[in-house]
Amino acid sequence: MHQLILRLTLTCWLLSLMFSTALNAQISDAELEELEEQAFKQAVALVSQSIVRIQTVGGLDHVSRVLTGTGPTTGLAVSKDGYIISSAFNFISKPASVLVTLPDGRRFAANVVATDRSRMLTLLKIDAENLIPAQAAPKKSFRVGQWALALGRTYESLHPSVSVGIVSALNRNWGKAVQTDAKVSPVNYGGPLVDIQGRVMGVLVPLSQRGTNESAGVEWYDSGIGFAIPLEDILATLERLKAGQDLNPGLMGVTFKGHDLYGAEPKIDRVRYGSPAQKAGLKTGDIIVDIDGRNVVRQVQVRHAVGNKLAGDTISVTVTRRNKTVKTKMTLVAQLQAYESAFLGILPIREKGNRLGKPGVGVRYLYPDSPAAKAGLKTRDRIVRFNNSEVTDAGMLADLVHRLRPKQPATLVFLRADAATTVQVKLANIPNSVPGKLNSAIIPRINNDESSRLKIGRFTQDVPAYQHSFWAYVPDNYNADYQYTLMVWIHPNDDTMEAALYKQWNPICEQRGIIILAPKAAQIGGWTLDEDKFIKDMIEQFLQNYSIDTTRIFVHGFSSGGRFAYHLAFKHRKLIRGVAVAAQPLRGRLPENHPDYQLQFHLVCGDNDNLYPLFQRTATVLRQMKFPTSLTTIKKHFHTYPPVEQVREIGRWADTLDRI
Amino acid sequence: MTNDRMTTYRTSCLPMAVCLAMLPSVASIQTSRQTIRMIQPRMVKIFGAGGIRGLHAYGTGFLVSPKGHIATVWSHVLDADSITVVLNDGRRFQARVLGAKPQLDLAVLKLQAENVELSYFDIEQTASVGPGTRILAFSNMFNVATGDEPVSVLHGVIAARTNLSTRRGTFEIPYDGPIYVVDAITNNSGAAGGVLTTQDGQLLAMIGKELRNARSNTWVNYAIPIGELKEAIKQITNGNFVAHKKKPDETEIPVRYHPLDFGLVMVPDVLYRTPAYVDSVLPNSQAARAGLRSDDLVLFVNDELIQSCRTLKVALGRLESGDALRLIVRRANQLVQIKMNVKK
Repeated sequence: MHQLILRLTLTCWLLSLMFSTALNAQISDAELEELEEQAFKQAVALVSQSIVRIQTVGGLDHVSRVLTGTGPTTGLAVSKDGYIISSAFNFISKPASVLVTLPDGRRFAANVVATDRSRMLTLLKIDAENLIPAQAAPKKSFRVGQWALALGRTYESLHPSVSVGIVSALNRNWGKAVQTDAKVSPVNYGGPLVDIQGRVMGVLVPLSQRGTNESAGVEWYDSGIGFAIPLEDILATLERLKAGQDLNPGLMGVTFKGHDLYGAEPKIDRVRYGSPAQKAGLKTGDIIVDIDGRNVVRQVQVRHAVGNKLAGDTISVTVTRRNKTVKTKMTLVAQLQAYESAFLGILPIREKGNRLGKPGVGVRYLYPDSPAAKAGLKTRDRIVRFNNSEVTDAGMLADLVHRLRPKQPATLVFLRADAATTVQVKLANIPNSVPGKLNSAIIPRINNDESSRLKIGRFTQDVPAYQHSFWAYVPDNYNADYQYTLMVWIHPNDDTMEAALYKQWNPICEQRGIIILAPKAAQIGGWTLDEDKFIKDMIEQFLQNYSIDTTRIFVHGFSSGGRFAYHLAFKHRKLIRGVAVAAQPLRGRLPENHPDYQLQFHLVCGDNDNLYPLFQRTATVLRQMKFPTSLTTIKKHFHTYPPVEQVREIGRWADTLDRI
Repeated sequence: MTNDRMTTYRTSCLPMAVCLAMLPSVASIQTSRQTIRMIQPRMVKIFGAGGIRGLHAYGTGFLVSPKGHIATVWSHVLDADSITVVLNDGRRFQARVLGAKPQLDLAVLKLQAENVELSYFDIEQTASVGPGTRILAFSNMFNVATGDEPVSVLHGVIAARTNLSTRRGTFEIPYDGPIYVVDAITNNSGAAGGVLTTQDGQLLAMIGKELRNARSNTWVNYAIPIGELKEAIKQITNGNFVAHKKKPDETEIPVRYHPLDFGLVMVPDVLYRTPAYVDSVLPNSQAARAGLRSDDLVLFVNDELIQSCRTLKVALGRLESGDALRLIVRRANQLVQIKMNVKK
């Protein structure tokens, strides 16, 4: 009996042993899955007391075409005494009031302390004690492939929301962010990205390589491409934010030769006046070889080294200059002095390819009281030297002049009846006015019919690739030996204005050699921002087909069309040189005046137009940014297209786009 | 017990061990691969109305009885003369709608066939889980699976368990009960009516329709817990289903009270989101007695966040006489509680 029991027990024990050992080999996958799940939950539990809920009241409903949400968002406690960091995206609507709810249910009114515009973060303060600040995971511990959990507190629930993924990449967006494939969206912007130990790697934000505003990168929400700013980096600048100091990307103030970011060496082309680089003594032609101990060979490496630096940070820069090594230090700034180029005061004679082989650049027109006029130049004189450089064409002279600043002296040599004269000039500012009288340039008569293959006159064309169409006007006397001005007409909403515009502009086009390109919005009701691609392609196609001077391409818009005209010009700086807008003020943040891509403005508005005060303000702002801007007020005129006289003036203005 | 002896037993009893391992395993020790094999035969592809104006003509469903009852989402796909159901193994049947409960976004179909061998979910055996739990999602999203191909499987975790609509206007859907939000992109065309299970195969929820969260302007990936649907499925299946009347729309609710009824003069409502600032308080009014002042910013009415003058009007309009009215206002940097009673 005893033995039977013993045997039974033994068998049972054996069975259970076999059961577990046999399964041991087979269930390890399942067990691992379960253990991982437990680890996720524990990590969430560890950090959840630091995650707060943020609600906003009031504010804008649209920001740069993104409909802003009104739902709650997430923040992360970073100090015991009430400081909370969140994504700047959560505050783009500029709310009137911000509320923070702690995990324990206590609710506080919050103040925005400061914003980090480099990494798109906002610091809040509430009057609360004994918050549980998040613990930062050391940046050194980050590995691509490790677990990463994105947490948020937007849902009404005790637990934070969880998305599980891995770290996809490090040092993204010029060294600023960690990338993850966990789902990141407005549901958890401002919340933490947590490692499997429950330590906070970073704060979730929308980011984009291309855009720099608060909503850039939102289009990637829930796509498996999410970003977090390392908490270690945030804590390193926390004191500056706490002091109410906004943080901005740091700028050096140099541009490089060549625009091949990945191929070309970082050889300095321009050093901006008054910039940290100029104060540190950097010069055109210097090649940057080292930044903060990081060796740099290509331009892109400079961006990597400086991309995560803030205004106020000091960096050390080593350059080579004529086989010598020069080491300097500079403190980066948030904003460079607006770039302003010098002005000589001439319009060059338009000689396509200088076929007659004449030396230098001929003077077509002299601005009254300009440096050139004061130095005694006359029309048809030819400028052959400028500050020790031989001048071969107008583009070269323009580049030499634009590299200098107003009030700087220069020496130039000009020929008159084959006799050379050397004069000193003191350069001036580009005038904000349009000449009252300006003879048109001489357009040579047609002496061959090689251009007959091209469409001439007024015509309409469909562009199937874009499901768009445009109309255009090429002057009947078109001659490929002359370089034309290109006007891109942006019609207002609901009206292409084709007949009226053609009627007004036809004589001006014939007289001044202007080609009109008038794209039509896909929906006549209005332009959508991405229609710029179609227009850019059409401009490039016209540049290929017709003889057009690339320094004289401008966009012209009236009323609501003006809004899209501004957008086009700022988006395609390389292509567009001028903006003539009637009755539409400029809204939003202005890009900088760029030395390589100059942009000139002409604004026309009636003083009875409701928008007139805003319009004047537009001119003031543009001038502050040092964009050459002429403003014409039409007396007793309402919100309609300008009359003949002011349209002729736009023609004259367009005829001076190549002024030097 | 030494290691040597263990090894001996293990070798000698190997055939028995293999037998044991093949016994039906306990739920908690199943890998996701085994789970997928187990769940796939219970899923069906549904084809019906649609195919025009961007409406898809396909959907997903899951078997809930051995007799061929199928639970799925109530949608336009079912609005057809004939509904075709394709099983996991390619068998094709006609089906008819047995009943529907629009408030739950639920419909139950019945296969037009008898004595068919079917795998099915036991809807009594469901689990309830929290955030961070790993899940598998089964659906015929975008109609990727055709013929005898199994439906698509996604993996992810439960992101949150929350209420779909604590306040009107957030989501445009009749259902307003608890949901699971998941971090996988589960809610696609044709995915509604699919299921979420835990990694070890316990039935959790039915995947809902594609839905936008109006307050964050994002798409929500959510599923309705089976626990919420269970009773309705059983009722429809057993044939004793009583359809309920739809709830009245918010627009039908009359605006009963205005800020002025309490003695509050709000700032002019000029913007889309004018913050609800008190412009002035009428002397001797209820608001004045309760301690409200001009420049107070009304933030909450009975725990509902007031984001603008507009939402304040709606919140006050909904009150009924005798209700308690609790306001939280921001005065300088302090939150101040105000209590009033709604009078007739």
